[in-house]
Amino acid sequence: MSKFIIRRALGLIPLLFGIVIISFVLMKAAPGGPAQQFQRNPRVTQTQIDEWLKRWCLSADASPAAAVKEFAGWFGIYNCNTESIFSEKGGLNFLPSSLGGGGNGIIHGDFGYSIDAGRPVLEMITERMPATLMLTSIALILWVSIAILLGVVAAIKRYSFFDQAVTFFSYVFYSLPIFWLGLMMIFLFAVTLRILPPQGIVTPRAWPPFNTDVYWAAFGRNPIGAIIDIGRHLILPVTVLVLANVAGDSRFVRASMLDALNQDFVRTARAKGLPNRTVVMKHAFRNAMLPVVTNVALEIPFLFSGAIVTETIFSWTGMGLLFIDGVGARDYFLLMGILLITSAIIVIFNLVADVVYAVVDPRIRYD
Amino acid sequence: MTLTVERATNVGPPAADVLLDVRDLRTYFHVMDGLVKAVDGVSFTIKRGETLGIVGESGCGKSVTSLSIMRLLDIPPGEIASGEIWLDGQDLLTLSPEEMREVRGNDVAMIFQEPMTSLNPVFTVGDQITEAVVQHTRMSKKEAWNKAIESLRLVGISNPERRVKQYPHELSGGMRQRVMIAMALSCDPKLLIADEPTTALDVTIQAQILELIRKIQDETDSALMLITHDLGVVAEMVEDVAVMYAGRIVERGTVEDVLVRPKHPYTEGLLTSIPSKGMRGSRLNVIKGTVPNPFNMPKGCNFAPRCPYRFEPCGAYDPRIEDAHPPDVACWLYTPAPGQTSAPRQSGPERQAGPMTTGAPT
Amino acid sequence: MAETMRPAETTELGVGPLVPPQLPLAGEEDFEIQLESLNQWQLAWRRFKRHRLALIGSVAFGLIVLIAIVAPILWPYDVTDIPGAKTYGGDAPGLAPLSRLFGTDFGGRSVLQQVLVGARISVEVGVFTMLIAASLGVAVGSIAGYFGGMIDGFLMRFVDLLLAIPFLFVILVAARFFGGGDVVTLILIFGLLSWPGLARLVRAMFLSLREMDFVQAARAVGVSDLRIAFRHILPNALGPIVVSATLIMANAIVLEAFVSFLNFGIRATDVSWGNALSNSQGYLLNGNWWWPFFPGMAIAISVISVNFMGDGLRDALDPRARE
Repeated sequence: MSKFIIRRALGLIPLLFGIVIISFVLMKAAPGGPAQQFQRNPRVTQTQIDEWLKRWCLSADASPAAAVKEFAGWFGIYNCNTESIFSEKGGLNFLPSSLGGGGNGIIHGDFGYSIDAGRPVLEMITERMPATLMLTSIALILWVSIAILLGVVAAIKRYSFFDQAVTFFSYVFYSLPIFWLGLMMIFLFAVTLRILPPQGIVTPRAWPPFNTDVYWAAFGRNPIGAIIDIGRHLILPVTVLVLANVAGDSRFVRASMLDALNQDFVRTARAKGLPNRTVVMKHAFRNAMLPVVTNVALEIPFLFSGAIVTETIFSWTGMGLLFIDGVGARDYFLLMGILLITSAIIVIFNLVADVVYAVVDPRIRYD
Repeated sequence: MTLTVERATNVGPPAADVLLDVRDLRTYFHVMDGLVKAVDGVSFTIKRGETLGIVGESGCGKSVTSLSIMRLLDIPPGEIASGEIWLDGQDLLTLSPEEMREVRGNDVAMIFQEPMTSLNPVFTVGDQITEAVVQHTRMSKKEAWNKAIESLRLVGISNPERRVKQYPHELSGGMRQRVMIAMALSCDPKLLIADEPTTALDVTIQAQILELIRKIQDETDSALMLITHDLGVVAEMVEDVAVMYAGRIVERGTVEDVLVRPKHPYTEGLLTSIPSKGMRGSRLNVIKGTVPNPFNMPKGCNFAPRCPYRFEPCGAYDPRIEDAHPPDVACWLYTPAPGQTSAPRQSGPERQAGPMTTGAPT
Repeated sequence: MAETMRPAETTELGVGPLVPPQLPLAGEEDFEIQLESLNQWQLAWRRFKRHRLALIGSVAFGLIVLIAIVAPILWPYDVTDIPGAKTYGGDAPGLAPLSRLFGTDFGGRSVLQQVLVGARISVEVGVFTMLIAASLGVAVGSIAGYFGGMIDGFLMRFVDLLLAIPFLFVILVAARFFGGGDVVTLILIFGLLSWPGLARLVRAMFLSLREMDFVQAARAVGVSDLRIAFRHILPNALGPIVVSATLIMANAIVLEAFVSFLNFGIRATDVSWGNALSNSQGYLLNGNWWWPFFPGMAIAISVISVNFMGDGLRDALDPRARE
């Protein structure tokens, strides 16, 4: 098993490297280089700019050699201070700092500085990450469970009123643009009925901004109040994410379940005289879940896309909104940082899905 | 000129030595284009410990008959329109779904055609056998597990202690069919229905599996209903045989009678369409035409359009096996048709020693 | 056929004059059943017609396309043309009695007119993105699936790579950095980034179809690679391809709206459903629900009709589907 995981993980390295290269190419291809962009921010001093440019080997030179050097510096193989592949400590630069390597480049966790905020990108991302993870994981758990429930029941009661109702609503919600759905829900529940907050993670004024030190101090003083406050803010964005995704997934579960119910082994199970519940929930369900596992793993990227959309509509200050702000400000380092980190998360989730699949399907050999 | 012939109508449960008594079974399917009468008035009996083969082309209704007995058809689109299925003194069609579940796997067990897909891929062989045992007996999980090992040994699987923990994909096709048989036997059923048990297997494995089924049927005293399209298998395996065509039984009798002196032209066609050594060089006889379209059954005898002996009544009147004396063939060659005083033939033409007779039960 | 053997006049009960039928000699007659022979497309059209939702979807989408073509000509719309302004030209001619049906926006301009005229950009983006992505996807997928080996390995690693990066992220970055607000660039960006999923699907279909007996048979009689790919394999893979293409089209319509909604898409002076939504967002909290509602419904209706169409096409184009 561990061998299987390691083999799969090693297989992902070229993929991750490919993502790094694509990110870099995107950055280089964008009109107006980082140097120009830094100068736009009045809060950043010229000395800082010079220091940063030097640190990531950024230069006005557009020759291929300079681009390669720039990439190597950004990636962390090349040390821009010593202008060689060795670090100041004399070791190979790509090694961890503790082993005599350098400190620059993404392999050392150095994603550069945000042009707009003048702060380290990694710091900004980790600050925003919890809000996004909270929103998406709650939505994911809810939507997968609801989709499985609806899909399985619809398949068992095929062509019933329930099945047709599920089909109808799936079609409707599958086709509604989710950002528009979000707007309409804000209008209905926050503007007209006034029962839910329209935007944000926490109530402004009552609570400090989410995930700051001040916030956690306030949280410690009144944890229940804090959770209720966040909970109220979660309802609308989570509902939007769940509605939009349950639509497609319940159809998928239904199809998969119907397929399983039509298999010969289900007939065998009935011929054995097993109760209907055992036949459906043990024999058919277990098999129907195999493709669902893969499907959910493949949807992880859409989860991040969904987060971008919902975070924008609901001013949910997570990574998605950070990304949108970064796009607006053409904040290269920030964008590439987010792109790399989310891609890495997606790739890791694909690995997890592979492993889970191997565990639930005995036909997959992993030794 | 009477058109309705008196039919022996049985009422109430059959005699005690009769295990299965199917009476005028009619199973229909409601599909988009209309009604398909997959089984259209089929009657037969099997006595305790005896064997019956049901033979016919694909689509003749033989599998639907077995699924009707098990009540495993999807309803809708299927429907058992009428009939009685007496098993061991009770009419299965009157049972509640719960009562029927007690019968399935316990009194009647079934072996299916496709061992590759009939076992659940995500559970071990042992899990799948013990499941049935636990359902129908008072055995504990542990005892049932031992029973599973025992029945695997019974069906000739070596090293059953190891096999019982394996998943179906780790077994060969023949091995899987052995597992299916072990599963069917695990609750000592009174009736074993084998629906084309060897069709999906390699020729070399087929003989082994048939031999196993026969051995088991001998050793336990369960009755066997064997469904097949293969007359060779019938000759090897069963005492009685019923030939089905287009949802009806068209001929029945002992294997010797039916395979050596077939009466019905369809049976005769089936037998002469099998190649044999003596026929080398000559053209193989085939039955002309195709199975009738279920939405547009021919008027009169269903087989008439393909029949080489057809004469006037065939296109007009529908022969029923119940109308024959004795009721062993549904054909106007043997039964006087309405308006006729006598039938053209009294007995079936004697066949020359063909492949079937050499393979007749020894 | 069977007719010839029936007595000429038989009643329901089968009683009637027994006329000796003319029996052909056994074995002489051929009993082949005559089937109405229809080609693949006729059969597909027949099945499509039976799919009620697909028909509704096609009619609805046809109407949207019609609106997209005629509305900008009949009722040209100019965002700067605000009632009260000196240059105001009045309600669009011909639309006047209905122009306030969906209300008016903050500038007093007809929402209905925006919805009608905005259809053009959505339809353009949907259709052309689909065409670009489908051609790329089919080309890459069939090359990879048909030739296999190194080519397949290289192409599919590239596809994996594109699929591993969150699609919307790249779309937004590309739209912001390379977009510049015109439809053509946006279509190019969407089209060039939407094909990997389809390519993977086509490849999978090719891999399984390549091993099918009918392809082996074609190869055995010396049919050329290109002909096998286009005449034997592609028609069998058509159903899933078409469904996938309609999904791409539906996605592109939503995507344009979202990107424009974020102000990274179509320039603000052009009318698109996304821009209409974007303009209305700030006013939603004042209770002006109809500004975003109608453009949003227009998007939803286009998407749903495209999806219905895709569904019907999938059923219609499945060569194994029976009547």
